Amino acid sequence: MSSPLKAYKRANGAWGLRNQVLILPMHSALSSTARAIADNSDGAVAISHDWSGEKDNDLARIIFTLSGYASNPNIFATIFLSIGNPEEEQIIKGAQALGLTRFTNLLLPEIGSMEKLQQEAITLANEYVKEANAQERVDAPWSAIVLGLECGGSDALSGITANPALGVASDRLVELGASSVLGETTEILGAEHLLAARAIDPAVGKKIVEMVARYEDSINYEGIDIRGAQPSRGNIEGGLSTLEEKSLGAAKKAGNAPFTGTLEFGEIPKVAGLYFMDTPGHDIEQLAGFGAGHINVVVFTSGRGTPTGSAIMPTIKVSTNTPMYESIPDLIDLDAGTIADGIETLAQVGDRIFNEIVQVANGQLTKAERGGHHEFALSRMYKTVVK
Amino acid sequence: MRKVLILDARDNIAVCLADLAEGDVVQQDDITITVKNKIPRGHKIATREIAKNDGIIKYGERMGHAVAPIAIGEHVHVHNILGDRLSAEQV
Amino acid sequence: MTISIKGFDHGNRGAGIRNHQLILPTVVCSTHVSRRIATEVGAVTFAHQHGCGIIGDDVAGIDNFFVSLADHPNVASVLAVGLGCETIQSQELAAKLLSRNKSTQYRIIQESGGVEGTVAAGVKAAHELSNAFPSAPAAVAKLRVGLDLGREVDSAAALEQLLRDEGCEVVVAHSESSSAETFSKLSQENVHVIISFPSESQPASGFPLIPVINVASNGVLHQAIRGDFDTDESTLLSGIVTLLTEVAAGSETVAEKSKSGEIRAPRVVRSA
Repeated sequence: MSSPLKAYKRANGAWGLRNQVLILPMHSALSSTARAIADNSDGAVAISHDWSGEKDNDLARIIFTLSGYASNPNIFATIFLSIGNPEEEQIIKGAQALGLTRFTNLLLPEIGSMEKLQQEAITLANEYVKEANAQERVDAPWSAIVLGLECGGSDALSGITANPALGVASDRLVELGASSVLGETTEILGAEHLLAARAIDPAVGKKIVEMVARYEDSINYEGIDIRGAQPSRGNIEGGLSTLEEKSLGAAKKAGNAPFTGTLEFGEIPKVAGLYFMDTPGHDIEQLAGFGAGHINVVVFTSGRGTPTGSAIMPTIKVSTNTPMYESIPDLIDLDAGTIADGIETLAQVGDRIFNEIVQVANGQLTKAERGGHHEFALSRMYKTVVK
Repeated sequence: MRKVLILDARDNIAVCLADLAEGDVVQQDDITITVKNKIPRGHKIATREIAKNDGIIKYGERMGHAVAPIAIGEHVHVHNILGDRLSAEQV
Repeated sequence: MTISIKGFDHGNRGAGIRNHQLILPTVVCSTHVSRRIATEVGAVTFAHQHGCGIIGDDVAGIDNFFVSLADHPNVASVLAVGLGCETIQSQELAAKLLSRNKSTQYRIIQESGGVEGTVAAGVKAAHELSNAFPSAPAAVAKLRVGLDLGREVDSAAALEQLLRDEGCEVVVAHSESSSAETFSKLSQENVHVIISFPSESQPASGFPLIPVINVASNGVLHQAIRGDFDTDESTLLSGIVTLLTEVAAGSETVAEKSKSGEIRAPRVVRSA
């Protein structure tokens, strides 16, 4: 099947499904300035975060996350707002190594104040936006799609409606040559051996199992047993009987395709295929990992509903049940609850999700994009409190 | 409207899309099942005869095993099945 | 001589030097909706990344942190905005807040018709709170001043003594590297105002509920962005009482004007 995709081709061969101008503050004190720049520009976007240049155990993870995020192929240009610390240089160099070509680093001490920084950045952002708008989409192969699979606020229907329907769409895309990435280590706990059995070779399978074990160890160090209380009482009342069943339901977002490889948090897939990325269950932290890993479109299934979006990745929301879809219409793009009501089959909803991904890849705005939802959160592995 | 959902052709259970009562007859494709006991929406019903220690197959994958024989039409849940991992760890 | 301040009566929260309505997002997912509500009604809010995916001691820790923000004396009323499915349940949190201060309401996105529905409901609730709890004047008997020492400050002891002589209570905190968590800690001590001495490699920054007076060092960065600071360390002692009195009386600090400052709650466990 020839691809109907049209996208933005980047110098390093990667494909952008969006052409964003990103304002990236390198210090928490510049986060509100970054937002104000984006709000007063002709369409630039900003993220905010709470890192203030601390050189703690999470430093490498934070530098890596921001480098990857700043160089996501959905970005036309990035404007960095800097204090002048060496770590900021590292972030920019990292982004360049990952393919970022158009960027400007605005240094607060050179400009003199946050107020002047804001004015200068708005002018610059508007120039970039003008250039970005002039660039045209060109014919792109299926491999241009790097899909992120996410779920949040799950309910008893997640595992039988939205997640397996997304799995149908993911399988089809992978078959056609696109990439698809399953995240949320906490969600596959108990089903890791089943996913490992679907790996293309034993080494990949072993790595999936190891990633889950590593995650459990990092949780257990605080004496928290995350496996023992699963499935929860609410899960059991909803009809889930075993931990494997619950995790299979979450992992079903990745369909039945074989796993080509595993990715560390924020790592970029090198060849097309289905991947597992080690990310936390915190929806927004996990989205940051996806952005850093150069995923360019996300499908997010939800039983409860969420406004979540991203500054750089279009995020398609799919409801697991129709009442939720109808009660919060401005949050959800597609309803998979029709499967539970016997109105549509998994294959039919899978088709709709597939078509939506193609439309959104070609430029159709998601509800989160229209609403301006640009949530972002850095993922930390260590405590922030110094005792 | 369908009352059960078989997620994969290899499965030996289906998911109930409505509250089912004893004696109800449910159907999907060429499978017809008479419900053996009350089963709430979202819970599982056996679509094949399952012997003790047989695997419970959902999504075409093994999600646990039977700790008692389960007849077609019976409620499949924590009272008659157990996860493989948990029981392995308990032993 | 004693600094005398006319402030606002905030009931159980005490007397404050600001009359902020706080739109409190109980989870990262509701920060955008909170910002829209706050912008519309002229209230204070902040972005943060907490409230979900938290485990162990952090659940109570972050919950208590939000309670302390809502209890702050500079706060007139609180509208808590939740998503619904987060770890910290905004309904439970709101019940806790309501039991402490009547001027509290909550709205939940998943139960208020999504984003637009919640913004509309939130704006309405915020207006109701302002109308039902009009500000009443009150004297601030003792100004509580937080000192954020992010660097070695020669005059720190003299400043502390000077403030005590003026009748202030002083809470001293030493920041490890940046001011973000120190401000959070000082806010839990209910300080009305903070005097911050960021390290020479750190910029000036603010905190949503509390005026922060940023004091510049002679370092290269601070002098390059002198406009982001309120005063210099070298001339601090001679002018601080006047400056503090003005700020306490309502004059905005530089950080308040630029609305700078993200909130970072202390965490003890990784995200789940």
